[in-house]
Amino acid sequence: MNIGLEQYLTVSGLLFCFGLLGVVVRRNLLIMYMGLELMLNAANLALVAFSRFNDNLDGQLMVFFIITVAAAEVAVGLALIVALYRKRQSAHVEDLTTLKL
Amino acid sequence: MNVSLIEFEITVVLLGMGVLLLDLWTPAERKPGLGLAAALSLLLVLVATFLVPIPQGAAASGFGGGYLLDGLALFFKRFFLVAAILVLVMQTEFADRIASGISEFYALVLFALAGMMFAASANNFVMLFVAIELITVTFYVLTSFQRGRTASLEAGVKYLILGALSSGFLVFGIALIYGTSGTMSFPEIAAKIKASHDLAHGALFQLGVLLVLVALGFKIAAVPMQIWAPDVYQGAPAPVTAFLAVGSKAAGMVLLLRVLLTAVPDLASHSAKLLMTVAGITILYGSLCAIPQRNLKRLLGYSSIASAGFLLLGISALSLNGISAILYYLGGYLFTVLAAFLVICIVTRNTKDEDISVLAGLHQRSPLLAAGLTLAMVSLAGVPPLAGFFGKFLLLKAAVESASNPEFRSAYYTLVAVGIVGVIISLYYYFGVMKAIFWTKPTGDLSPIPLSLPARLALYVCIAGMLFLGLYPGPLLDFTDGVVKAVFN
Repeated sequence: MNIGLEQYLTVSGLLFCFGLLGVVVRRNLLIMYMGLELMLNAANLALVAFSRFNDNLDGQLMVFFIITVAAAEVAVGLALIVALYRKRQSAHVEDLTTLKL
Repeated sequence: MNVSLIEFEITVVLLGMGVLLLDLWTPAERKPGLGLAAALSLLLVLVATFLVPIPQGAAASGFGGGYLLDGLALFFKRFFLVAAILVLVMQTEFADRIASGISEFYALVLFALAGMMFAASANNFVMLFVAIELITVTFYVLTSFQRGRTASLEAGVKYLILGALSSGFLVFGIALIYGTSGTMSFPEIAAKIKASHDLAHGALFQLGVLLVLVALGFKIAAVPMQIWAPDVYQGAPAPVTAFLAVGSKAAGMVLLLRVLLTAVPDLASHSAKLLMTVAGITILYGSLCAIPQRNLKRLLGYSSIASAGFLLLGISALSLNGISAILYYLGGYLFTVLAAFLVICIVTRNTKDEDISVLAGLHQRSPLLAAGLTLAMVSLAGVPPLAGFFGKFLLLKAAVESASNPEFRSAYYTLVAVGIVGVIISLYYYFGVMKAIFWTKPTGDLSPIPLSLPARLALYVCIAGMLFLGLYPGPLLDFTDGVVKAVFN
């Protein structure tokens, strides 16, 4: 079978939806954060596939920026979640109730 | 390519690193003063933007066309510099409430400022993404800077999750736009749309644009991505909230203008109804939800959502006057919001919470602070002759002018009516704040509030800005008209 753009995009779309589902459904901050990373990587896959089929390298270049930024975001994000865990002994969104809704 | 193109950004980044370095040799008791030094240096950069010759034509663009130094970029760079100077002064007032790492507190604001200045010049999606993330990631840290306060940490985590979600939407949107058009550059996308009609009508392309717009809507706190704003505004330290309200929102706005009007102008005119709906709902949501609020920063959070609605109203007018009005509104908004947060920052120094009742008797404790906050509220409410009135007036006027298009006549008139209803509702809660200052029986401490010289100067600047832009709208209006005509015509 010949693997074309559609297959890549389907996988990428599925990954994005799973990531989004994880953020919406799960209540643990760390799992939600994993879902968010999955969304970013879905976009990376789509960009690389598009780059290959568009015959230019702009997409791949963008992927490098996304990976770098995602690393920075994870560093800050995990630090924040750990700091909150130390304070509240919990990483569940239900416990984030200091600020009224 | 000419490196001097990004000299202002380089200066700001070096300044941020300089603050971090100086921190090593500065004795602890003098560290808060670093903020004032940084503010003074930024003032020099601001002056330099007027003196240094600005490259024109082809020389004004660099990084493979990703960076553009035009009139709009320059306007926003100056805007962000003024905002950062005032925020740095506010931060030195706040220094005693930061347990440790005051220099990082200043440096992060400078790095966020660099991100905003890059955002002002973004001309392709790579630059847009990197600039937006530089702003957002620094704000995650800034929001949760008071690690000892649960509210601050919680606001940081909420901002983190929703911010990362909007980043996910943004990159996936960019991937779809890139995949269907084959380019990242705004002008090239516009050219491709002109060349082939199918592109703009493709479902994937439209989905991509929609995802990017949702992510930018998050930055300016527009419905349906407004949900973070009240919590984060309430939990973050006051200077950070101020910078978030002014800088981050304006950065989202300039990127929205670039994407909508440079990259997909045809799509923008087809989606006028969508923009109008979002603008109307945002205005009503912000105004109605602000009514029962008792926390000052939360109240301003909802008021900032309503302002985002007014800014979108200007975009949905789809005219040069609308964009010019947006720039004018932001100019007035800068001084108004920073004045309000400066007063809140100083008044809440010795109080545990930021309930509206801490304002009781403020006019006896410090007439200048009371005057500053009153003027800010009057200006936000849109009462003449202050800056906020003129901004809202220009935005509504632009929408009324666009109503001459018969296809959208009723929609524009409805939107203007919604805007006016929003202004009337907002009068109620802004005057609630003034009532708390002047007509509430003070119960607690009535000692005078000491005001440091920099804070006094910053407040004078804000008050002067509000009054000048309200009484003499001519100079800035001519300037914004010129900028908009040069960039978008």
